Amino acid sequence: MLVNQFLILAAALFSLGVYGLLVRRNIVLILLSVELMLNAVNINLVAFESMIRSADATGQIFTIFIITVAAAEVGIGLAIVLMIFRNRRSADVSDLNLMRW
Amino acid sequence: MTWEIDYLALAPELVIVVTLLVVLALDLFLTRPNKYWTATAAVAGTALAAIPLVILAVEGENVSMFEGSYVVDEFALVLKGLFVVSAYLVLLLSHHYIESERFYQGEYYFLLLASVLGSLVMASARDLIILFIGLELTTGPLFLLAGWRKGDAKSNEASVKYFILGVLSTAILLWGMSMLYGLTGEITFAGLATATAGLADEPAMIVAVLFVIVGFAFKISAAPFHFWAPDTYEGAPTPVTAYLSVNSKAAGFVAFLLVMYLALPELSEIWAPALWILAAASMTLGNLSALRQSNIVRLLAYSSIAQAGFMLVPFAAAAVAGTNIEEGFSATVIYLVIYALMNVGAFATVIAGANRTATGDIDGWAGLGKIDARLGVLIGIFFFSLAGIPPLAGWFAKFAMFRAVILAGGTATVVLAVIAAVNAVIALYYYARVIKAVWLDDAPAEVPARAETPPSVSLRLALLISAALTIVIGFFPAIATFVGDASRIIAAGG
Amino acid sequence: MTLADYLPIAVMLVLAAGFVAVSLIASRFFRPDRPTPEKLDPYECGIVPEVEPSQRFPVKFYLVAMLFVIFDVEIIFLFAWGAIWTELGWFGVAAVAIFTFFVLETLAYVWKRGALDWNVKRRARYIQPDVQEAA
Repeated sequence: MLVNQFLILAAALFSLGVYGLLVRRNIVLILLSVELMLNAVNINLVAFESMIRSADATGQIFTIFIITVAAAEVGIGLAIVLMIFRNRRSADVSDLNLMRW
Repeated sequence: MTWEIDYLALAPELVIVVTLLVVLALDLFLTRPNKYWTATAAVAGTALAAIPLVILAVEGENVSMFEGSYVVDEFALVLKGLFVVSAYLVLLLSHHYIESERFYQGEYYFLLLASVLGSLVMASARDLIILFIGLELTTGPLFLLAGWRKGDAKSNEASVKYFILGVLSTAILLWGMSMLYGLTGEITFAGLATATAGLADEPAMIVAVLFVIVGFAFKISAAPFHFWAPDTYEGAPTPVTAYLSVNSKAAGFVAFLLVMYLALPELSEIWAPALWILAAASMTLGNLSALRQSNIVRLLAYSSIAQAGFMLVPFAAAAVAGTNIEEGFSATVIYLVIYALMNVGAFATVIAGANRTATGDIDGWAGLGKIDARLGVLIGIFFFSLAGIPPLAGWFAKFAMFRAVILAGGTATVVLAVIAAVNAVIALYYYARVIKAVWLDDAPAEVPARAETPPSVSLRLALLISAALTIVIGFFPAIATFVGDASRIIAAGG
Repeated sequence: MTLADYLPIAVMLVLAAGFVAVSLIASRFFRPDRPTPEKLDPYECGIVPEVEPSQRFPVKFYLVAMLFVIFDVEIIFLFAWGAIWTELGWFGVAAVAIFTFFVLETLAYVWKRGALDWNVKRRARYIQPDVQEAA
């Protein structure tokens, strides 16, 4: 069964997402990185599902929920971007340093 | 195909769902001066949700639904009770605060109730999907609520930091969960518990469990994954901070404990040392950072990180020792419940104190007890309770913690107990510093003798309830032991 | 699934690419082609452009994107229901009806709040009384 290839793809995407999240300074790009990570998880789950073939397609149902929650989170993220942009005219997180990390 | 759905067992959740839909609809049709009805509806709905909880507790039946994925047992009921009570208190705190500063009101209550709903779901979740949905429903609305002071740069920053770390931790957690599913083919806790037996040496399993732990550690802001918490707590509106440090933290803790205790008991040799490290690091880093804080909210933020460490101690100690793990679990739950009740009270005094002195600096609170004796006494009660001074509730939490550690035994456990004891002394120092400022220091001359706006009725009610609970549990620890006993009757489901 | 099953997709791809190529090449032959420097400049109300236009989209595009993402993805639950709806029977219909009601209530909220209005002035009229102190 072809499962390793999918897992490697997913791991690569996940790592790219982590990298992007840590390195990018623009909030929109950070959002994209998060999407990448969540979709890597989806690939994982669907690949495992095709290997396990559980009776009620658990992996795929899990994926559906992750897709929905990811959409909701992007919605929240864009709302936060809008709020910050209206206040500061930029979507750069390195400007957000009033309090130290 | 149909399912047996016990609507009474789901009633608390259903009441909250209906309430939040009503709040959203009300908000659309009310004009500005009448918006307070949304607050009334939210408070009433939360109080209503307690009624089915009491009925269920009296009946005392374990209900298991959806093939064991959703369980209403005594453990779930106790925690749901905690979530409903603390949500009720936070709603009381919010009411005046949200009204006075021209915030969006209906949306605030809608989002807060959505978060409460998530925490209720989480207490009953016995499979990974429902747990994940509950966790996201709890934290998602809070990303927005943390930035509710839209024009304020600090609040914006709080929201962004919380959001980025929140979604990062979700992604890490999900990665771990997907590996768990892939390695076992199970997502229910009962299924995982049997399927993971003997897999503790599997490298992929170790990675999966560590990812899950890191994901949860971010959610409960345990060190070294805590650095978002102080900034978010400081920037967010104070009632939201109270909610973050009480309700959402407790919910994250419950999810964390459920996964470790019910789903992965066979893998305790992987996660027990990790929990030990998290507990020791959170206590030490939280307390040492708290010593240097001058802002009261930041102090409470670091204190809540340290308290998270204390909470983990009994469970981690028992798991490392491999004995009396049930005892450790129930001590952790007792600590969690008591912490939640006294911390919400501490935040209520912060709101009242900031209202009275117009500052959040500890030095600015000098002499507060001489100006406003009642508030000073309340500050004394909650901060001494957090420090663990008898006869207030906090001492019993610490007592239960140390008792469980001693029962567990073993070298690593003793080391953890020593770290906890040293930290308890450090914590006493900075809690006492606040009380010293309030009672022993002289008030600066410019503080007016009378408050311009007296504390609202709802704030007084919240202070009264949480103070009463803190004192009563301190004198009658039997109530808390009941909580601990309830947590022993935990059904794995399935 | 054998390779032959992918044939319709391949045919579709060839057809799509072919359509694009044919239309581009055909228009090249039929249209007049007399470029002048003025024509090649970006058009800006007949005035000679001085600075590059900024690369930013108006903020309202983000709002639309946000709403689209959320309402679009809600449909995904209907797929799961659609896969086994005969087995679920009226219980499933009722559950989906409740779910749809939730979505519709949020849609009504978004609509009444004026987030669907493209014209900002009208939207401002809805939101203004509730606007918090801007920075």
